[in-house]
Amino acid sequence: MSEGIRDRVAVVGVGCCQFGENWDQSPSDMIVDAAYEAYQDAGIDDPQRQIDAVFTGSLYSQKGPHECSDALKLWKPVTMVSNYCATGTDAFRCGVMSIACGLYDTVLVVGYDKPKDRGVSGPSVMMNQVRDLPQTPAGWFALCAATYFEKYGAGREDLARIAVKNHHNGTLAPKSFLKREITVKDVLEARLISWPFGLYDCAAQTDGAAAAVLTRADRARQHRADPVLVKAVTVQAGPNPQKDPGNDFLSWKPTAWAARDAYRQAGIADPRAEIDVAQLHDCFTLTELLSYEDLGFCEKGAAKEHIASGVFELTGELPVNTDGGLKTFGHPTGATGVRMIYENVLQLQGRAGARQVKNAELALSHNIGGHPTACGIAILGRS
Amino acid sequence: MVGIASYGAYVPPTRLAFATISGRELERSESDKRARGEQSARGERSEPERSVAWNDEDAVTMGVAAAVECLRGFDRASVDALLFASTTYPFREKQGAALVAKALDLRRDVATADHAGSLRAGSAALRSAFDAVAAGSARSVLVVASDCRLAAPGSGLERSFGDGAAAFLVSDTEPIATFEGGFAIADEIVDLWRGERDRFVHTWEERFVVQEGYTPSLIEAVRGLCARLGASPGDFSTVALYAPDERSHASVARALRLDPARVADPLFGRLGNTGAAFAPMLLAAALESARPGERLLVAGYGDGAEALAFRTTGRIEKLEPRRGVGWHLARRRPVRSYDRYLAARSLDAKEWESGGDPGLSATIHFRERDEDLALVGQRCRHCGAVQFPRQRVCESCFAKDDFEPMRLSDRTGRVVTYTFDFFFPTPDPPTIVTVTEIDGARVHLQLVDTSPKETRIGLPVEPTFRRIHQGGGRPNYYWKARPVPGGETK
Repeated sequence: MSEGIRDRVAVVGVGCCQFGENWDQSPSDMIVDAAYEAYQDAGIDDPQRQIDAVFTGSLYSQKGPHECSDALKLWKPVTMVSNYCATGTDAFRCGVMSIACGLYDTVLVVGYDKPKDRGVSGPSVMMNQVRDLPQTPAGWFALCAATYFEKYGAGREDLARIAVKNHHNGTLAPKSFLKREITVKDVLEARLISWPFGLYDCAAQTDGAAAAVLTRADRARQHRADPVLVKAVTVQAGPNPQKDPGNDFLSWKPTAWAARDAYRQAGIADPRAEIDVAQLHDCFTLTELLSYEDLGFCEKGAAKEHIASGVFELTGELPVNTDGGLKTFGHPTGATGVRMIYENVLQLQGRAGARQVKNAELALSHNIGGHPTACGIAILGRS
Repeated sequence: MVGIASYGAYVPPTRLAFATISGRELERSESDKRARGEQSARGERSEPERSVAWNDEDAVTMGVAAAVECLRGFDRASVDALLFASTTYPFREKQGAALVAKALDLRRDVATADHAGSLRAGSAALRSAFDAVAAGSARSVLVVASDCRLAAPGSGLERSFGDGAAAFLVSDTEPIATFEGGFAIADEIVDLWRGERDRFVHTWEERFVVQEGYTPSLIEAVRGLCARLGASPGDFSTVALYAPDERSHASVARALRLDPARVADPLFGRLGNTGAAFAPMLLAAALESARPGERLLVAGYGDGAEALAFRTTGRIEKLEPRRGVGWHLARRRPVRSYDRYLAARSLDAKEWESGGDPGLSATIHFRERDEDLALVGQRCRHCGAVQFPRQRVCESCFAKDDFEPMRLSDRTGRVVTYTFDFFFPTPDPPTIVTVTEIDGARVHLQLVDTSPKETRIGLPVEPTFRRIHQGGGRPNYYWKARPVPGGETK
C-alpha cells in the first residue's frame, strides 16, 4: 500500500454559491460565485498566475472543462470528473493527487450542477431499457429498508428524526435552500416517494456550485494563517449491489470499503472518538443512518439508539451534517462533495457561526451514489 | 394418433365489475371480499364482471403465460412449430409467434406463423396444427390463442368482451384427446370489424349480427361436422360454443337441441368473450373436467365458423396438474374504479402523447433478447454460482468467460428485499420493486398481482412475462415476479 497523501496538501480557500432553485442563474453564474469566493478566501488576486490547473466535477453537464474555462476565463489545464454522487469528492481527490505528485502547486476544484433546468422536480424516468425499472435513486437506496427494519427493529420514526435534525441545522446555514424546522409528524405524514421514504426523507433538488483552492502544504501559509490539511481522500467503486449475491442489504459496501482506506490513510483507529464533525451523504434519511454504521461511528444495528440519544445532533458527541446536509442544501450532484468540504473547512477554522462545533480538529465528508456503487470520503484536519 | 397432448390457459386476475363500468365504486368490503376470492362459486355472485388485461398485459404476455402452463412437464426443445392466433397482436408488421417462441426459449429452428385478422384465428390455428402433425411435417406443434380486444368506453361490447388466452400442444404421441375431425365454412359478412386506423372493435346492429351471422353459421358448422363424423350433437358429452353474448349462446344450444347439462358454461359475467381465444378457452375448460373416453365438440365463429371434435383418452388423468381456466377464474383482483381501468388501457386523457421516448434501442434489444425475453441467465462452470444478466466475469469467483446459459423463467425465487415506488407511471401506484433471488441469482424485478400489504421478505415468487413500458410507441417486454400461488415452490 502507498504511504498516502496525508498532510501533503492544504485547503487554503473555499467558496459556495447560494444553493436553491436558481432560476435566474446559469452554471457560469454559480461557478463564478463559488470560485471567486474561494479566491478571496485564499488571498488569490491573480488567478491566471496563481492557479495552475482546474479540476471540475459535474454529473448533468457534459461540458465541464469548457464551462469552467469560459466562466472563469482561465487558460489552464481543466479536467472534468464524473463519478455519480461522489463526483465532487472525486474532483477534489484529483486536485489533491495532482499536487501530491508534484505536477502542480496550486489548483482550483469546482463542483457544480444545474438539475433545475430539466423541467422535472424529481429524477427523469427513462424508458430506454427494460430491466431494473423503475430507475430512481429513491428506489435504489430504499432497498435496505425492509431488511434493516426487520433485522434491527428500526422504523420510519427513526429515519424521520434524521430529517428533523438536518432541517434544524439548515436553518443555521446562510447558503442552504430549506430553512424551516419540521417535526417527526410532518415527515411521517408527507406523501410517499418510495417506501419508506416520504417527501421529507429525500434530499431537496437544487442548483449549486462550490469551490476550493488547494496548494502544497509547505506553501499553505502564504495564503492564510490557518490552512486545513488533507488527511485522507479516497473513492471506491463496486459492482451493482442489487446483483451482488453476498449483499445482505443491511449496509452499503462502498462506504465500508472507502472508510477502511480513508482511516488507513489518515491513521484513524477509532473514528467515533477521533472525528469531531462529519458531513454524510443524506440523499435519503436511511442513507445517513446506514453511513453512521458503515463509517464505524456506531455498531451495526445501533444507529437507532444513537439517533434517539442525540449523538449526531449539533450539540451531540459527533455532529453530523452541521449545515443541514443534502436535505436542506439539495443535491446538485457535482457540487455536493465540494460543498461538504466547504462546510468542514469552516468548522475546522471556527468560522461556522451559529452551527459551529466546539474545537473541531478532524472532519470527515462522505458521498455515496449510483446503485449505490460509488463512494467518496475526504478527511480534513487542522494543521 | 393426432391429438392434444397438453393444454394451458391464462386469465388476467384483474376483473372489471359491470357495476364499476356504470361508474359506481365497489364498496371496500365487497372488493376486499372479492379480492380474497370469496363468493367465487357461480350463482352466488352479486356482481357480474369481465376479465381485464392490466396495463402490463396484452395478447403476447397472456399467450406466453398460457403456453408456460401448457408446457408444464414437457420438454420445450421438443416443440417443432408454434402458431400464434390473435386479432390484437400489437404489431402490424413483425411476427408474434417469433416473439412468443423467444419468451418461451424454444428451439431456434422452430417453425412459426401467426393466425390473425379473424375471431376464428384460434380454431383455424388449431386446425392447421392437426393438419401439420397428421401430414408429418411436425411432430409437436404449440398453438397459442390470445386476445385482448378493446371496445369503446361505455359501449355494449365493453361489457361482453373479456381478455384471456389458451394454449395447446398438438402432438402425434400420447394425446389426452384425439382429434376426430373438423368442419369449417367461410362466410362474408360485415358484422364485427376493426380497420387499419380503428382503435375499437366496431359492430353492426346486434340483431342482424346474431340472426344472419353468428346463429346460422355456427349451427351450419356444428351440423356439418356431425354429418362428416356420422354423429349427432347429442353424442357429445360436452359442447363448447363460441357466442357473442349469453342470450345468443342459449338460442344456438336450443336450436341444436342440446341437453343444457352438456353445454359448456360460456362464462359470461365471469370471463367475457375473449375473441380469437374464446372457443379455445372453452375447449381448455372442457378438458379440465373431462374424464377418459368422453367426446367433446368445440365451435368457433368469425367470418364463418369452424367446429372441431375430440375424444379424450386415459392419459387425461395422468396429465400433471396445471392452471386452467377454472383455476384462473377463481383468482380475482377487482378493479377499484372505472378510471383505473381507463388508465390501464390508455383510454384516459394525458398531457403528453406517449411514445416520445425512443424506447429500448433495437440493437440493445437484439443482443439482450435471450436475457430480456427468455430470462436466460448463466451458471458459472467454475464455482456454480447463478447470475443474471449474463456477464463476462463471475460475480462470485471472478472466473472469466466460463459460463453455461440457464433459463430462470421457469424457476421460482424468493424476495430478498423490496420497496414501493410511487414515482413510476402506472395506473395503480405504487409499483412494488424487489430484488429477488432465483437459484442464487439476484434479479431486480417488479412484483405484480399482489399488494404492498402482502409483500414480505422471503415471499416465494415466480417470473411472469409482462409489458414493461411503451417507450418508442411500441410494447417493450420483460419479466416481472408474482407470488407463487399458495406459496409453494418447486
